[in-house]
Amino acid sequence: MRKQKEKIILPPELPPEIPEDEVEVSDEDLQFVNENLDYAGFVSSLDTQSINKHVNRVANAKGDTLEALYERRLKRKSQEKESEEHGIQVDPVDALPVKTLDGELYYRTASKMPKVSENAPTEGEGTGDDEDGGADKGIMKLTKAERRAKLKKSKKEAKMQVKEPAKTEEVQQTPQEEVLAEVKKDLTAEQLLESNKRRLAELGMALLADPESNIKSLKEMLQISKDDDHAIVKLGMLSLLAVFKDIIPGYRIRLPTEKELEMTVSKDVKKMRYYEATLLSSYKAYLQKLIALEKQPLFQHVALRCFCTLLDSVPHFNFRDNLLAAVIRNISSPDDVVRKLCCTTIKSIFTNEGKHGGEATVEAVRLIADQVKAQNCQLHPDSIEVFMSLSFDEDLGKPEESDGNNKVKYKKNKRRNNFEEPGQLQDNDKKKSRHELMKKMREEVNAEFKAASFTPDVMERRRMQSETLSAVFQTYFRILKHTMQPIISRSEVNTTLLAGASGAHPLLAPCLNGLGKFSHLIDLDFMGDLMNSLKKLACGGSNSDGSPGNCLKSLTVSERLQCCIVAFKVMRSNLDALNVDLQDFFVQLYNLILEYRPGRDKGEVLAEALKTMLCQDRHHDMQKVAAFIKRLATFSLCFGSAESMAALVTLKHLLQKNAKCRNLLENDAGGGSVSGSIAKYQPYASDPNLSGALASVLWELNLLSKHYHPAVSTMASSIASMSTAQNQVHLSTISPQQAFMDLSIERESFIPGSDIRKLNQKRKRGNGSATPANIGLNLDVMSPTNEDEMRKKLSEHFMLLRDIKENERLRRELDRTTLSLQLYEEYKKQKLKMTEKPKPKK
Amino acid sequence: MVNIPNTFSITISVAVFEKLFKFTGNNLKNIVENPSHEGPDTNPGRYCFRLHKNKVYYVSESLVKRATNIARTQLVSLGTCIGKFTHGGSFHLTVQALGLLSSNAKHKVWLKPTAEMSFLYGNHVLKGGLGRITENMVPGDGVVVFSMSDVPLGFGVATRSTHDCGKMDPNGNVVLHQGDIGEYLRMEDEL
Repeated sequence: MRKQKEKIILPPELPPEIPEDEVEVSDEDLQFVNENLDYAGFVSSLDTQSINKHVNRVANAKGDTLEALYERRLKRKSQEKESEEHGIQVDPVDALPVKTLDGELYYRTASKMPKVSENAPTEGEGTGDDEDGGADKGIMKLTKAERRAKLKKSKKEAKMQVKEPAKTEEVQQTPQEEVLAEVKKDLTAEQLLESNKRRLAELGMALLADPESNIKSLKEMLQISKDDDHAIVKLGMLSLLAVFKDIIPGYRIRLPTEKELEMTVSKDVKKMRYYEATLLSSYKAYLQKLIALEKQPLFQHVALRCFCTLLDSVPHFNFRDNLLAAVIRNISSPDDVVRKLCCTTIKSIFTNEGKHGGEATVEAVRLIADQVKAQNCQLHPDSIEVFMSLSFDEDLGKPEESDGNNKVKYKKNKRRNNFEEPGQLQDNDKKKSRHELMKKMREEVNAEFKAASFTPDVMERRRMQSETLSAVFQTYFRILKHTMQPIISRSEVNTTLLAGASGAHPLLAPCLNGLGKFSHLIDLDFMGDLMNSLKKLACGGSNSDGSPGNCLKSLTVSERLQCCIVAFKVMRSNLDALNVDLQDFFVQLYNLILEYRPGRDKGEVLAEALKTMLCQDRHHDMQKVAAFIKRLATFSLCFGSAESMAALVTLKHLLQKNAKCRNLLENDAGGGSVSGSIAKYQPYASDPNLSGALASVLWELNLLSKHYHPAVSTMASSIASMSTAQNQVHLSTISPQQAFMDLSIERESFIPGSDIRKLNQKRKRGNGSATPANIGLNLDVMSPTNEDEMRKKLSEHFMLLRDIKENERLRRELDRTTLSLQLYEEYKKQKLKMTEKPKPKK
Repeated sequence: MVNIPNTFSITISVAVFEKLFKFTGNNLKNIVENPSHEGPDTNPGRYCFRLHKNKVYYVSESLVKRATNIARTQLVSLGTCIGKFTHGGSFHLTVQALGLLSSNAKHKVWLKPTAEMSFLYGNHVLKGGLGRITENMVPGDGVVVFSMSDVPLGFGVATRSTHDCGKMDPNGNVVLHQGDIGEYLRMEDEL
């Protein structure tokens, strides 16, 4: 055995280039020949003549050289043979994807692996030292080249690991490499650390190679990782993680009961039981250790990474509750890395329900609900965001129907049984009893099959889903209710934890998103309460009297808009048959449009609100529509091109659907008979029904058609011409949201364009041909930053103009005076002539 | 605000306003504070309620002043009649109040074109005839009934809340009839 090993490890040295004369048979060669007499024996019996001939023809080798050459060839051959033998010995599990040290895998390392695993059984349960020594030998006997490659590789691995610490789920080989890399990382550390690391690696490799026979090493690894050194603890945890991830079976281990233990069992079963018990106990110890470590800030990252990876890869295994609890405890951790890790893990649990049959989902959702309750809704939004990746069956909302179906089926079966029974009754008792026996058997088999098969029970699944759903909604309602509470009682609860989170209600936004997504699953019984609370949130305390007003003021406009949107979604998806008019929410939207500020609030939300509330609703009052049209037109005058475009698209849609409101486009104020009881437009009315907008005129469109943005101006003019062009009935297909997105993307690219135009204007102005209209257009384009510059330019411009005018005036005056002078001269001349003429006459 | 001649006592005004409040909610303020532009005065006056021969009228102040020229026994009607007191002493709104109610309504119901005629003959509103309904109705609230083209048709009292309406069968009553514009033809003499 020894000999064999040495031979394998012997580096395949290439013959050095030695001049032919100098070649001698070295001592080594002699020794080798002596050792391998079996192999070398035939050399003497070779036909030297023919060989000489042969070799001379091929190469210029002669005499002694030849012998050496052949020896070497032989040696190589034998070596190959031996390694082949090993390759055969290696069983497929061992030959698993173990990369070689030069990075290119293959069975060279595989042939090293079995060596280790052979060591274990042979030297086996012996003392640690012995085994250690053997392992050392194994490692130390690497060639220089290999060692160098390994070093390089470990460095690379270390780098990679730093870069992507979370990326744990890869093919089996990566964790091993990771562990290897981790273990090999710090070469300068002291000897103990070094040996511990090496030991961890060895044990890990052995475990991966043959878990059944090496299961005891788990305990040893645990022992090592109880070290004081932080690095070793971390490494130990990570290596154990890789090992567990690999060897944990695809089923849940149930420890045998005492009764079962008493029974005599075969050797294999015993071995299996021992294996499972050891695995389970060490897994438990490992988890306990991790839970302890998680509390120390130094190890938190490592512990959580272990938790998350385990939960992700083996959610079916024992102690899942503890894993889930640990992960969810940290789901709203202030540490970004930890939180992201936890959230992605929980999401993957929600999406890959096949791994655990949905049980983990229910537990996770319940734990999150408890967490929200315990923390009084002061969590990071991410922790609720994960609910968005839940998925429910479409027919979950209608349980009665399926029950009915089942009943019908049951009845049918019964009837069929009844039909069969009369026939049976005529048979004799024996047959009947046999039949019953058969039936019983069949039932039993069915039950067993059900238990064994992995297809999830439909009813069970439904039950779990409804439980999940109720927990989710419970959480959502709790958040809503909490948001409505006055802020005073909450001020003691510190919110420092949520530095990055938005405002005082961090969970509201994801909660509303979730309600929107699952709106079709809400029970009708909850609807009333839900709508009431949404209404209160949407009105932000402006309607309610006095004290509760202050607390709700903290809700932003976006949040309030979102409340309106959710209310509409809920209504639409639940009461589709009944067309419910959500008057109060329209009032809110009507007022919120005025409170919108482009920088502060999200334009997307506003556009979405316009779409869901005004465009998608089937029918409106005329008064209300008119009020909204008027307000949207006013709104679009005030804000950027994207917002005004979204508003205009909505406006156009409303006008197209409500032909009566096109009175607004006519040029006579007062509205005539349609204006209703309110004869005058009241722009400050808070209720769209009472604003009397039909009495007004949409003069805003005229201004908007001179908008600097070409899209807005064309839109405005097309709306303005709507009443005259009667044949234009086609509905616009673009939604306000889309319009908003288009223009807000375009916004960046549009500004440079306007700059160019400005430059052109300047050039024109230099020529002195700038008209007041041009200047007005330019002022629109101006950004506030170069306002001063602009003002200076303008003043220069006007100065110039004034100078020119002054000049002209002076010149005119000059002309006039010269003219009058000339006239005077002429007059003088004529007078002279006159005086001269009569003189001669005289 | 409510300038009522001698006969309009506290109990009577409470009855009138409670009834109106059921239909209009907070918009009742608008009814009371609505400026009137009738008469030669430049500054707008207000509207007020008058009780005359068991009927309650909604009259502008300037009209009230001018009506004083006529002896009470000789006066048949003034302003808009909005309701009457029955012999039992309870107050009933009449159809003439519809204009006032419809512009200030809190809860509305829109009828499908097929259900309009039935309502105009004095029948209750069935669920099947509902075209649209405002949210948040409570049983017992006053509801104004509109056609789908926003023409007020009448008013009544809700029997169900909005959410219950979703679940009930199409033949159940949603709004109990109290008054409709068909009465102008059917009960011409009484009005």
